[in-house]
Formats: sequence, C-alpha cells, structure tokens
Amino acid sequence: MKLLVIEDEKALRESIGDYFADEGSICEMAHDHASAMVKVNLYRYDCIVLDINLPDGSGLDILRHLKKERLSDGILIISARNSLDDRLTGLDLGADDYLTKPFHLSELRSRVAAIVRRKAFDGNNELSFNEIDIDLLGKEVKINNTPLKLTRKEYALLLYFITNKNKVVSKNAIAEHLWGDSMDVADNFDFIYSHIKNLRKKMLEAGGHDYIQAAYGLGYKFTAI
Amino acid sequence: MKLLTRYNRLTIMVTIMIMVVAAVVYYFTITLVLSKQVDKALIVEENEVQEYVAVNNALPHIFTTNHQSVTFTKTANKLPRAIRDTVYQELKGNEIEPARVLYTNVQVAGQNYLVTVIQSTVETEDLLKLIFGITSGLIFTLLAALFFINRFILSSIWQPFYVFLNQLKGFKVAENTGIPAIASNIDEFRELDSAVSIMAARVKDDYHTLKTFTENASHELMTPISIMNSKLDSFVQTGEFTDNQSKILNDVYGSLNRLTRLNKAMLLLVKIENGLINDEKEINLKKLTADTITQFEELTDNLNIEISSDLHDHTIKANLPLMEILLNNLIGNAIRHNKTDGQVSVSLDKKALRVINTGDNKALISQDIFQRFHKASASEGTGLGLTISQQICDNYGFKLSYSFEDGRHQFTILF
Repeated sequence: MKLLVIEDEKALRESIGDYFADEGSICEMAHDHASAMVKVNLYRYDCIVLDINLPDGSGLDILRHLKKERLSDGILIISARNSLDDRLTGLDLGADDYLTKPFHLSELRSRVAAIVRRKAFDGNNELSFNEIDIDLLGKEVKINNTPLKLTRKEYALLLYFITNKNKVVSKNAIAEHLWGDSMDVADNFDFIYSHIKNLRKKMLEAGGHDYIQAAYGLGYKFTAI
Repeated sequence: MKLLTRYNRLTIMVTIMIMVVAAVVYYFTITLVLSKQVDKALIVEENEVQEYVAVNNALPHIFTTNHQSVTFTKTANKLPRAIRDTVYQELKGNEIEPARVLYTNVQVAGQNYLVTVIQSTVETEDLLKLIFGITSGLIFTLLAALFFINRFILSSIWQPFYVFLNQLKGFKVAENTGIPAIASNIDEFRELDSAVSIMAARVKDDYHTLKTFTENASHELMTPISIMNSKLDSFVQTGEFTDNQSKILNDVYGSLNRLTRLNKAMLLLVKIENGLINDEKEINLKKLTADTITQFEELTDNLNIEISSDLHDHTIKANLPLMEILLNNLIGNAIRHNKTDGQVSVSLDKKALRVINTGDNKALISQDIFQRFHKASASEGTGLGLTISQQICDNYGFKLSYSFEDGRHQFTILF
C-alpha cells in the first residue's frame, strides 16, 4: 500500500507515518501545499491523507487538482473543522471519506484500508486473512469455509481488528468506531468486552485461531500468527 | 406605573391643590369685602337715624324694604353697640334670608331706644355662588385641558422613546440586525439614539469577537489534542505495561476523550448560535426517535431500564445532525441519569415530544440545568448537552422545558 500524508503538523505526520510504516506500506510525507503538489504530480498513491488547512493553501485545492487531472488516487480528508460545509464540499469534490480531528490512528487506518480496498478490488470485494475469508459486499465471514453468523457490531469489530492487526487498539478507539462519536464513550466500555467475548467464542467454535487478546487493560490486540 | 399615569397624577394633584387653596382664599376675601360693604351700609343707615333724631328729636319714619329693615324698641338701659350675623324675613313670602344686623341706641325725649338695622345679604350670597361656580368650572376645564395636553405630549413628543423601548426589547446580541436610527428633532432623543446605536454596535462587536475567539480557540485546541491522541496511540504499541501504567494510560485516554467532546460541544454551540448550521430538510421525527431509542438498546438492557414509547407521525423541517444531537441528548440523559430497573417513556405527537424518566427523587432546578457547564457532580458529561439542546430548540422556535412530578423527570419540547 502506497500512501501520501499531507499534513502540516510534524508530530501528527510522524505518528501517522510510524503507524503505517510496518507491514511493507510505503508512507510518504508532505508538509505543505507546494511540496504536496510536486508529489501528486510525480507519483500515484493508493490513498492520499489530506489535511485541509495547510500553511500555504487549502487542501481542497489539491483535491480539485487531482479531480481535474482525472487521477484516481483514493482521498481521505482529515480536518479539524467539523463543519458540515467543509465536509460536504470535500465529498462533493470527490473525496472518498472525511475524518475529523482528533482521531485514533486505528480509525484512520481502518478508513484508509476501506478506501484502498474499494479502489483495488473494483467489485470483487474479498478479504482474506489466514483461515478467515470476508465477503465485504455481502458482509459474510467464513472460517475454513464454515459460515460465521456475526452481529453487525461483531462484523465491524472483526474487520477493524484485521485492518489493525498486530496493533494495540484502545477501548476508546473501539467504542468510537462501533458507536460513533455522538455517543458517550464511557457508556459503552462494558459492551466492548461482551462483543469481543462473543466474537472470540464464535471464531473458536468455527475452528479458527484465537487471535484477539486483551492488551494490558488498555484495549485489545489482533495478533497475526 | 406608566409615565403618563405618573405625570398626569402629579400635575393634576398639584393643579387641584393650588386651585383649592386659591378658591378658599378667594372665597374668604370676597366674603370679607362684601360683608364690609354691607356693614358700611348699616353704618350709613345708623348715621341717618342719629342725624334725624338729633335734628327732629323724634324717631324717623321707617320704610321696610325687601332687603332692609329698621326697628326701634324701647329699652330702659343703653345696650352695647354691635354688628352681627342674623337672619331676615322677607316682606313677601316667608323666606328666611341670611343678613347682617346692627344694634345701636338713640335717645328721644329722655327715652332710650334700641335701634335694630337689618340688611339682607342674599345678594352677596348669590354673588359668592356665582363666583364659586365659575371657579369650579375653571378648575375642571383646566384639569381636562391638562389631561389631554399630557396625553398628547406623551403620545407624540415621547413617541421616539417608545420606539426605542420596543427596539431595545427586541434587541438580540446574537442576531445580525442593528438598531435603526430614529428621526427626531428633539436633542435628548437624538443623543439617546446615537448612544443606543453606539452601544448596540459595541455590544455586537464584543460578542462577535468573543464568539470568534471561542471558535478559534476550540479549533486551535483540536490540533494539539490530535497530536496527543495519535502519540498515545503510538505509545501503547511500544511494549509491555504494568497494571499501574495501563491504568494511568486509560485515564489519559479518558480525559483526552472528554476534552475532545467538550471542545466539539463548544464549537457546536458557537455554530448554532451563529446560525451557521442551516442545511434543512424534511425529517421524519417518528423514525428518528425510534432509531435513537434503538441506539441505546445495549445501555438500557445492561441497566435493565424499560423504555416505552408512544410515537405518532410528525415531520419537521430541520437540520438532521442537529435533531440527532437533540434526541441523543434528551434520551441519553434520561437513561444515564436513571436508576437500575428504572423506566423511560418517550412520546411524540404533532404538538410535543416528551421524555419522562425515573431517577433521583429530587427535582432539578430548571433555571440552572440549561446553564453552560452546569451538571450533576457524578456526571461524566460536558455540562453542555442541555445548553446545546435548548439552543437547537430556540433555533427552530421549539420550546424546551423541564418539570418534575411523582418522582419522574420530564423534558418537553413543544413544537
């Protein structure tokens, strides 16, 4: 997976870079409008993570340029402005998704992965991980070809974990992913545990490995064996 | 008390007092003057009698008229001379009239006579009555005139004042309309006009600065919060943590999350107040309410709270995210501030949405709960939820109110 992160905050840029760096992804960085334009004109990316507020221009201009040139890079806008206008303008201009700051890195990764999958598979939406096969369109999961009956939240959890495999995913991040940020996160901590317990049980019963482990009371980790 | 009433009362009272005092003084002066005149006539008569007696040494012939009579009575001794008030009987008829009497003595051939000269004062009384009538007529005319003049002054000359008053009543600091200038050729009102305009502009300006500051501050905070969030996410990947360390990290995650929500809530509030959220469409409130209740399913199952709902069709034109936030806040509060095995009932019809819940058996103070950052001490919330809810309701002309009855808390939105 080849990524371009256009973000003016060095600290945030580096965190994103580190999070995506393992697993053979190439993650390039641009810190302003000018350097970003150079990169998007020279190379193609699977996904561009684009901050709207840049010191020397608007990220929306880069988006406009990409669309004008009919370049098919996936685009995820990240912005501190949660205003509906920015969101709509961004999506109208052809961005694939919009994520409001602050976000969890696992959430960013899950969104980026979803964009990349959509771009790459073009309708044949199958995701495989060891013995687990996921049909992304039908939202069906099979383990060793045995269909798994998962609830909506369990399915979302599994996909989230696979996208963030080998990472500690915090309970806060999971709660926000499953219930959205309009809900009080603390309300839902207890339910995360029961959803994960059920998911593990179903996977084990279908003959799968036990991938999901609690991580020091902070969250969970999907460990690829 | 109205200015007109106060002003009328004052002027009319002063006028009446002056008039009454003047009338009394007038009355006594006139009475005095007139009775002096009558007394003079009596003395003239007395003198005539004395002169006649001196010249003729006999009593004069008496002609009693309607207004005057002179009588002579034989007395042994001289009686003291005196002038007094008395009554007088007319020649024709039996009418008794007020009169003045003069007693004096004459001596005719060694015999002492008491002379009684009576002069009717009925004409004087008539005159006084006339004067009294004219005076009271004058008072009433003057009062009526004053009343109408005051009324005219207040309704026409004071008109700009009432226009100002209405404009100030309608003045809203959050709205963009200014206070229009008022044409008046009265200096005081012109000064008031410019003072009010300057004040309104300054207040709006200050308010705008404050809002912009809040918005900018919240936006600027988002970047460091993002960095902290991502650094924390990166940090937890770095290795093994002891129980104590993970507890600390969990607390940091929790606080960061709270900071984020607080910041988002403040931004949202500023945006609603600024009227920046105006993407409206038809919303099926029945469906939205039912969806919101479903969202809280897990929470209610966990706390064993029974949710009953009685929803009827109602469609409104509003911004969807705002309505979601509104319902989320009200229904979420009803669940969070409930008790185990409690109840929540949600009803919706064309007139109102009601959320009723069990909970602490103590009424909340309704003027406090809608205040910013007011919250229950145990609450994990931002303290802005109800403020935002009320702001959303204000935005669409709904009325949000709280009541407490039979141990149940009720929030009502009247459409």
